Amino acid sequence: MAGRWQWFHRLGSPKWFYEKTTRWLPWLVGAMALFLTVGIVWALLFLPPDYQQGHTSRILVVHVAVAGTSLSFFPLMAVAGTVTLVWRMKLADMVARNAAPLGAWFTFLTLATGSIWGSVSWGTWWEWTDSRLVSMLFQFFLLLGVISLRSAIENAETAARACALLSIVGCINVVIIKYSVDWWNTLHQPSSPISMEVGSPNGPEFWVATAVMIVAVYLFLAVSLILTTRNEIIQRENKAQWVRELVAQAR
Amino acid sequence: MTENSQATRPLLEVRALTCERADRLLFRDLEFSLDNGQALQVKGGNGSGKTTLLRIICGLNDSFAGEMYTRGEALAANWDAFHSGLLYIGHRVAVNHVLTPLENLRWSCRLHDPADDDGIREALDQMDLAGYEDSPCYSLSAGQQQRVSLARLLLSSAELWILDEPFTTLDVDGVALLENLVARHASDGGAVLITTHHKLALPRLRALTLGMTR
Amino acid sequence: MNSPGNGAINRSGNSAINRAGAGAAFLATLKRDLLISVKRRNDILNPFMFFIIVVSLFPIGISPESAMLRQIAAGVVWIAVLLASMLSMDSLYRSDYEDGSLEQLLLSAQPLYLLVFAKNIAHWLVSGLPVILASPLLAYMLALPAEGYATLVLSLLLGTPVVGMLGSIAVALTVGLGSRGLILAVITVPMSVPVLIFGTLAVQNALAGGSPAGYLALLGAMLAASVGLAPVATAAALRITLN
Repeated sequence: MAGRWQWFHRLGSPKWFYEKTTRWLPWLVGAMALFLTVGIVWALLFLPPDYQQGHTSRILVVHVAVAGTSLSFFPLMAVAGTVTLVWRMKLADMVARNAAPLGAWFTFLTLATGSIWGSVSWGTWWEWTDSRLVSMLFQFFLLLGVISLRSAIENAETAARACALLSIVGCINVVIIKYSVDWWNTLHQPSSPISMEVGSPNGPEFWVATAVMIVAVYLFLAVSLILTTRNEIIQRENKAQWVRELVAQAR
Repeated sequence: MTENSQATRPLLEVRALTCERADRLLFRDLEFSLDNGQALQVKGGNGSGKTTLLRIICGLNDSFAGEMYTRGEALAANWDAFHSGLLYIGHRVAVNHVLTPLENLRWSCRLHDPADDDGIREALDQMDLAGYEDSPCYSLSAGQQQRVSLARLLLSSAELWILDEPFTTLDVDGVALLENLVARHASDGGAVLITTHHKLALPRLRALTLGMTR
Repeated sequence: MNSPGNGAINRSGNSAINRAGAGAAFLATLKRDLLISVKRRNDILNPFMFFIIVVSLFPIGISPESAMLRQIAAGVVWIAVLLASMLSMDSLYRSDYEDGSLEQLLLSAQPLYLLVFAKNIAHWLVSGLPVILASPLLAYMLALPAEGYATLVLSLLLGTPVVGMLGSIAVALTVGLGSRGLILAVITVPMSVPVLIFGTLAVQNALAGGSPAGYLALLGAMLAASVGLAPVATAAALRITLN
């Protein structure tokens, strides 16, 4: 009988993942390159300048796409964490482990592009009255917490499960933080000299370009995750027969 | 699992137990059983996985492959019942330094059995700690602290004792006392799983040696 | 040397009947932790002193003007409480981990989350409560207007247990690590932001003449959610880290 205490990973075998992704990767990378090129060229060269913000609105195409993607990290890590805790699937932890630093980068990029955009539109690099930036900042801190917990625990198994639990708690917390910061923000809004209306340029073309960019960024996320996870598989499974054969072939 | 009735199935059965820690194989395909009236000594050199084995059986460590049964039932599904009949004393003896022996035992017994102060005093007296009941444990020697934790053996109604290196800090009298306790527990129908480097003078003692796989 | 003699005191067959109930184990754990705290006064006193010192830095660092101070008073007290609780949290499971008591807690036949909850309550009684009792005095020194006191104390009463229980999860995740002090804060402080928001909003609302009831109710809801979920998460975390 395969009880839940059994530390065997029949499901989600790393080998299966490695072989499948070898086949998927070219397609994914191709699609990513296509969407990225279309999105960036369109946003930078062809998108008409916003009538209020001018060329600054082009930053938003990237910002919105990165921001949307970075919101998906905690849910992703929480799901992977649940799988790690309940089914002890090694693969889920490999994904979660690589998702945390990637998520921190995406969150950082969101903050950076947001503040670059804000420096022109709002005249300031940082604006506490924008609740999205503030809750992003706390998501960034929470992700750093997961990363530092991972690096602090020496035993890989313990680290995997501790981070899985923290990701689940963190995911619930991010939602609460988001709503409480929104609330806090609306109450402080009247004192703010900045109108949030400026924040949303309109026009269907802008949103289509943004949609293309969102797809591109998600593909980028998928490709990065797959690549880092494959890397991790090779490292962790270095004793397995198929990995040795793979290494022998590469030589 | 139905070839025998429940009462005749052993208290603890371990099958094909394998444990790997940080990419190092501690033991592989370990098989043994322990039943009422028996004492089993786990032997093996440093780092052979004795403590890990005991912690696995207690349910403190679950990084293993293999199966464990109690009375023919999978242990994984019966932890609560198993824990209520289990007394574990690790090499960290669970004695808080600022509390007195009496206060320590009041708590650690309460986690399993009801205990009254008279019973605890009597147990401490038997462990040769009379007069120390109300001194803070930091003023006690390591051996005396070990005795405080071993007093729980006298206060517990647990069927299975799991003792990890209980002799290390005990003096000659203490060793004899504990040997006596273990022997009597086994002859009373209890079961004992023990790790130690001591040569135990116990009738019907069985031994399991780890570290033979390499 | 005594012989084991007539020992084996409770070795009767009716062990299922005289098995101590979960309630008895809960109370015993609560009592034990309170007793340990009373005997190790420094663990209580140092965070408390830290709290008072941190608060007294704000007038020096920002402004001694009472017009300025009254605006930030509630926030300053709340932030100092958060920081002080980070400091006191570290001792929550440390000695129990080191002396092996935590293993015994895990092996108890009683539900672990219940025992964890008892430890959380004991910790709050000795670390949270004194700070809350001192908070009106410090709020007075920060020139908090009279309308704010009751709300400040109420918000702390509802909010500090939430912070304590969130911290308990983080402590359980980092128990046994050498340098856990900072990781603890990195994990717990961001998670405490909603409590800080509603705690300070409640006081500000009371000062503005409104009713703080809504915010206090939200804090109460967070408290209820934490009581239900945090001990379970802490128990799971302890099982992971003691593996």
